[in-house]
Amino acid sequence: MALNETQIRTGGRSFGQMMTGVGSAGKPLVSFGFVLVIWTAVGLSGWFPESIFPAPWSVWSATVEMAQSGVLWRDLSVSLSRAAVGFSIGATLGVGIGLMTGRVALVRTLLHPFLNLLRPIPAIALVPVAIVWFGIGEGSKYFVISYTVFLAVWFNTHHGMQYVPETYLRAARSLGASKVREFAQVVVPAAAPHIFAGIRLGVALAFLSLVAAELSGASSGLGFRLQEARQFIRTDRMFSLLIILGLLGATIDMIVHRIGQRLVHWEQG
Amino acid sequence: MKGDVSARQLCIRFDGRDGPVTALAPTDLDLKPGTFTALIGPSGCGKSTLMNAIGGFVPPSSGSLTLDGDPITGPSEKVGVIFQQYALFPWFTALDNVQFGLKRLRLSRAEETDRAMAALEEVGLTAHKDKYPQALSGGMKQRVAIARTFAFGPEVLLMDEPFGALDAQTRLIMHSLLIRVWQKHKATVLFVTHDVDEALLLADHVHVMSAAPGRLIRQYDLPQARPRTMRGAPELLDIREEIIGLLHPAAMSA
Repeated sequence: MALNETQIRTGGRSFGQMMTGVGSAGKPLVSFGFVLVIWTAVGLSGWFPESIFPAPWSVWSATVEMAQSGVLWRDLSVSLSRAAVGFSIGATLGVGIGLMTGRVALVRTLLHPFLNLLRPIPAIALVPVAIVWFGIGEGSKYFVISYTVFLAVWFNTHHGMQYVPETYLRAARSLGASKVREFAQVVVPAAAPHIFAGIRLGVALAFLSLVAAELSGASSGLGFRLQEARQFIRTDRMFSLLIILGLLGATIDMIVHRIGQRLVHWEQG
Repeated sequence: MKGDVSARQLCIRFDGRDGPVTALAPTDLDLKPGTFTALIGPSGCGKSTLMNAIGGFVPPSSGSLTLDGDPITGPSEKVGVIFQQYALFPWFTALDNVQFGLKRLRLSRAEETDRAMAALEEVGLTAHKDKYPQALSGGMKQRVAIARTFAFGPEVLLMDEPFGALDAQTRLIMHSLLIRVWQKHKATVLFVTHDVDEALLLADHVHVMSAAPGRLIRQYDLPQARPRTMRGAPELLDIREEIIGLLHPAAMSA
């Protein structure tokens, strides 16, 4: 028994040493490399037809094809601007209304229960309503994205406002701060880590709901291109678009996270 | 001279789960301008409640509570508070924290900075003015809090176990620093602590509270000159024994 434990521990350590050799920045690459090796092996084995499970090189050439024809760049810019517009509307409203429901009793009474009821409704369920209201143009995409982002940002902002430590408020009041200054310089900064967590979640949700909105009723964008690829059974293109969506989302999330660390530098971890 | 606190039959009750709970039984207390009073008692006896009432954070249930003859109705800049958890704003630097309390004076920018810098200098933290509270030690944080509170010149200073989280060595340094700053500004101080020695070394008057519901059961006047040491004043040792007996009656009889 004791021997087993030692073996396990030694094994763990040598793996750990292997990892430290790679460095923290290289760790994701190890994981990607591992998956790529498996994927290549499956591709070489010929177990699956290309139309079901394309090999890495097919996906790569599909990507190059889309890039060279210009379709990829057009779709990227259309999708990104939709996500950006929808996110901006939703996040602005979310922070604004969250600050109010968190702070003004009347607004909280009027809106909090209703908004809570909306939260479980998934973005994709809204697409039919959005199309009836706004048509299949940009309006319906903005609506679905901003709605989803709004709820996430509102919820986190509202809760951040609830957990402002009482001692901060007491300190501010005993230091003679006006209501306005108490709000702007104490309540909002104290809630800022929560607000920012909401914004980060909102960015991720903007992508999720973007694809939901584009899958039905769009003539451009990454989501539309996925749907189009299905009609032509271009699984290689689907894989390419899915990977692009993943990389795009992860990159933007990392950027938002970095900005957040700068803005709320006092919050560790 | 201002900073005259007077409580008459002051009683504070809260609504608990099983009906009202008396946190502070009817209490008379006078804090004369410029005096240093320590309040000591078992935990949960209501000493923080009494302090919160004077700070205007908790309304009296009955009785009267006045500052310079006017009823205390809420927090005011006349009453400065220093909390055990420091309550520095982590999003502001040490200097910004001190300036926060000066804003209401509507000074010019330069004047405000000068005054905040002078306050930091008094507590020996000029070199750390641009640091955020997270980068400061516990003792340094409390020094910033002291600077922040004294900077705007409160008449009354409430301190709720301010050095409770500090190690013994730092605590001694903070004691002499507090006495020095207080003697310069001459605010009326109410100092809550559960450390008997701390009360005896610092205060002009020591009030001992009973276990919940709290009331003041004994008062000691300490005319000894500062700085004090327990060894230098044998009568303090006798008082210490008495207070410990009051705080832990069971331990004494055992």
